Amino acid sequence: MSKARLKNITLTIDGKSVKVAQESTILHAARKAGIYIPTLCFLDGLKNYGGCRLCMVEVKNTHNFQTACTTPVFQGMEVTTKSSGLQNLRREILELILSEHPFTCLVCKDKGECQEFMHTTRKVSVTTGCNFCTSNGDCELQDLVDYLELKEVKFPWIYRNIAPVKDNPFYELDYNLCILCGRCVRVCNEERYSEVLAFVQRGNKTLVGTAFNESQLEAGCEYCGACVDVCPTGSISEKMGSWVGIPDRSTKTTCTFCAVACTMNVNTKGNRIVNIGPKKGERTEPLQLCVRGKFIPGDIVHHPERITMPLIKKADKWIEASWGEAITFIAQNLDKYRGNHFGLIGSAQDSLENSYILQKFTRKTMQSNNVDLLNAFGEKGLVQKIHDHYSVCPPPMIDDITSANTLFVIGSDCSLTHPIIENRIRKAFKQGKQVLAANTLFNRTAYFSNHFIVYQPGEEYHFLLLLLSELLKGKNSKTSKQISKYLKNFDISNLLDQCGVASKDIEKLSNTLQNSENIIIIAGDGVLKTSGSLHNLNALIDIQLLINEQKDCRMMYLFDEGNRYGSSLMGMHPDHFGGFDKVSDPSSVKKWSENWNCKLSSNKGSSGDEMVRNISGDGIKALFVMGDIPPHKNLSGLKFFVQQNMFLTGTSKYADVFLPMSSFMEAEGRIINLEQKLKNIVPAIKPAKGNKPSWKVISEIAHLMSEPGFNYRKAKDILSEIRLFIDFTEVASSDRSTGVQPLGTKAREKTEGYPVSLTIAPDQLHYMGNILTDLVPDLKAISMTPEALQKTETENNG
Amino acid sequence: MKDTIDTILKQYPVNDRGSLIPMLQGVQKQEGYISKEAVVKISRHLRVSRGTVYGVTTFYSQFKFNPPGRNSIKICLGTACHVQGGDFLLNALQLEIGIKPGETTEDGRFDLERVACLGCCAIAPVMMINKNIHSHMSVIKIRQVLSNYA
Repeated sequence: MSKARLKNITLTIDGKSVKVAQESTILHAARKAGIYIPTLCFLDGLKNYGGCRLCMVEVKNTHNFQTACTTPVFQGMEVTTKSSGLQNLRREILELILSEHPFTCLVCKDKGECQEFMHTTRKVSVTTGCNFCTSNGDCELQDLVDYLELKEVKFPWIYRNIAPVKDNPFYELDYNLCILCGRCVRVCNEERYSEVLAFVQRGNKTLVGTAFNESQLEAGCEYCGACVDVCPTGSISEKMGSWVGIPDRSTKTTCTFCAVACTMNVNTKGNRIVNIGPKKGERTEPLQLCVRGKFIPGDIVHHPERITMPLIKKADKWIEASWGEAITFIAQNLDKYRGNHFGLIGSAQDSLENSYILQKFTRKTMQSNNVDLLNAFGEKGLVQKIHDHYSVCPPPMIDDITSANTLFVIGSDCSLTHPIIENRIRKAFKQGKQVLAANTLFNRTAYFSNHFIVYQPGEEYHFLLLLLSELLKGKNSKTSKQISKYLKNFDISNLLDQCGVASKDIEKLSNTLQNSENIIIIAGDGVLKTSGSLHNLNALIDIQLLINEQKDCRMMYLFDEGNRYGSSLMGMHPDHFGGFDKVSDPSSVKKWSENWNCKLSSNKGSSGDEMVRNISGDGIKALFVMGDIPPHKNLSGLKFFVQQNMFLTGTSKYADVFLPMSSFMEAEGRIINLEQKLKNIVPAIKPAKGNKPSWKVISEIAHLMSEPGFNYRKAKDILSEIRLFIDFTEVASSDRSTGVQPLGTKAREKTEGYPVSLTIAPDQLHYMGNILTDLVPDLKAISMTPEALQKTETENNG
Repeated sequence: MKDTIDTILKQYPVNDRGSLIPMLQGVQKQEGYISKEAVVKISRHLRVSRGTVYGVTTFYSQFKFNPPGRNSIKICLGTACHVQGGDFLLNALQLEIGIKPGETTEDGRFDLERVACLGCCAIAPVMMINKNIHSHMSVIKIRQVLSNYA
């Protein structure tokens, strides 16, 4: 807040006048002026460290040299960053650093030529020189040696002789190459708060390590990969893409695994993903990702079992077919099942364009409203409800979490499902903000919360009611009267026992919420994915309303999949068209018939689960599945079943045609994340030969079925059509004047036939229905609760 | 044992990193060493990571991670003892009882430590077991000297 009021200061660096804010460091000023100062330990956004001493500069009228990364600027300061004295000093420092790092190749006079002779000797297990190192060509030490023109190192080389760690699932550690810059230790503790790495021992025995030299997993590592991103040497190197070489292209795109939709940078060489991490030269300001975003895309995209050619089943065997053949085959068969016999199940990790085309195809071409997403929420209307709520109370931005006074996290295991949200929660906690959390199980968030409440599984709703009734105490406003009227249906005194919580916990929770100015409520799977989630939502909204009477309270729903909200908005839902226009409402049927210039069915659509249950007799006869769904024996009763996926799965054995799918690394698109921001997916690599984005495949099928209105040439064409029909501005509306009415809480009805067969357990991470731990077994490491955590759970409860 | 650690921890404020070293010293004084359990408890008390506590503990040579044995052996490697073959003595002793400096034998009979000077350079090389100085030590005498300590 006070930042805006900071004065600007003018100083001269190498004769160039620079204007920067007060409290900046010399390094910041120099970077702003485009003047290079060498650094090794500096990390943007973290506390000043001043460990490597390479950024020494001369400041006029001060004795000694100053480190640019820690020295604040002052008015009229005169800085020299390059002089022969400074360069000599830096050379000397670098020599000392290199005396503990294999340096022979670094200062070899033939280093330019040796590459061509050394090809075959690269994959040795001990790194004794640059040519044996995975970071060759992308190493900050190499850059520094070149910059300082270091020709020899006069100190003897000390080889620490530590066995490299290779049993880590995602990266290898070779501390013989470590220069102890401390970047990994600091990023682990100060940015990610995983608190795994630390300096152990001292003097020349100092090493980066974990407590009691445990493995990283035992020490509680979450494999966010932040240490890999910042390491200036080859000491921490990624397993995937290690020996692929230096990336020749970087693409900024969006991760679609979860709804945080982080921006990520994909480094590629040719048509292969080398890694997902910072671009060369941007290591000091890496984008923070989680294990899924950082390590998984490359693994699934270049997975050896990936299918790249369409397959048609003939006599129970998969026969490869050409794209033309497969598409014609599908079009001919689907033609027989127009109407209510056709169903389509898509994925919430698909782009807006794909979702739009899939539902347009189902509704327009197939004359059916049976379109749904895999793993839909416990209640059909939930996303729409959230949409309605967000249109009057927009969600907070992800970075707002850190600036709120109080956070209330309910039903979320976000260290696993949304690690970046968890990271912001931890940041807030470390900054002294109040973090209150409630869940059915003790989880990692508990370490970063002031108050952690464990309630009985399935009692989310009653827990929220308890909180609501506590918040109502002593309130006399119109809203509170209305809400307390609803609450009369409940016997509050019994609920405490039912939820298994103490009344003082609820009191504490309510007091903290009422006494803070700026509150963000974060609701996760526990609230959104259980049966009766609509009721949970109503209760939460009422809580928000009550607090909002005096304070500022905002709500964030943690959708699991990247485009859960966007896909639903596009109309991937049996009950509504794009823009949440109800199918049951004749005026919206008319509107969309006009939009698409066709006749639309106003039959009630079935949800994915109903589709699978109704396969037999007069129910669903043809099914199109985008991605994967959990296999179900009913699927064998289908007359025609098309699956488009990256891999053959348990469900594929029921399929008649299998089409390869382009992942989000290969196809262009857009998604809407949980902040309701439109984010771009930029293809980083080209898909396998002949592979097309899903919307193109569908358009071609529609075209063969003589259906007009599918003439798209680029994904952009679809987007402009979407923009014509669906109001995007509504999404970003920030008009809060209309206010929300209390939604009322009714006794929860037993939902009959609660959809379960198409649900993937919340702790199973997936991409388009494909379970990631099956594809990348190493990921199992993080989805397990670490032993250490289980132990502490019993201790804390006891 | 659990209680002793807790009583020591209670004397220090929560969430104050400055108390880390006094706490470690307190625990070591009571228990003779820093157990894994103690590190975990201290880290939770001070709200710092286990890694940090471990890092600080390894930084100072005064802290030990192994419970003391019934008899503690100190081998002098000061200048005079070094010249008189203290290194050989240490190597032989390591082979004899099968542990490295800083460790404790499995049966808890001995723990081993190397020290810089015991202040009796005239009778080098020396080895100190409990409070007894053994002077003019040699590799041959080790077994006989150790047999006096059970």
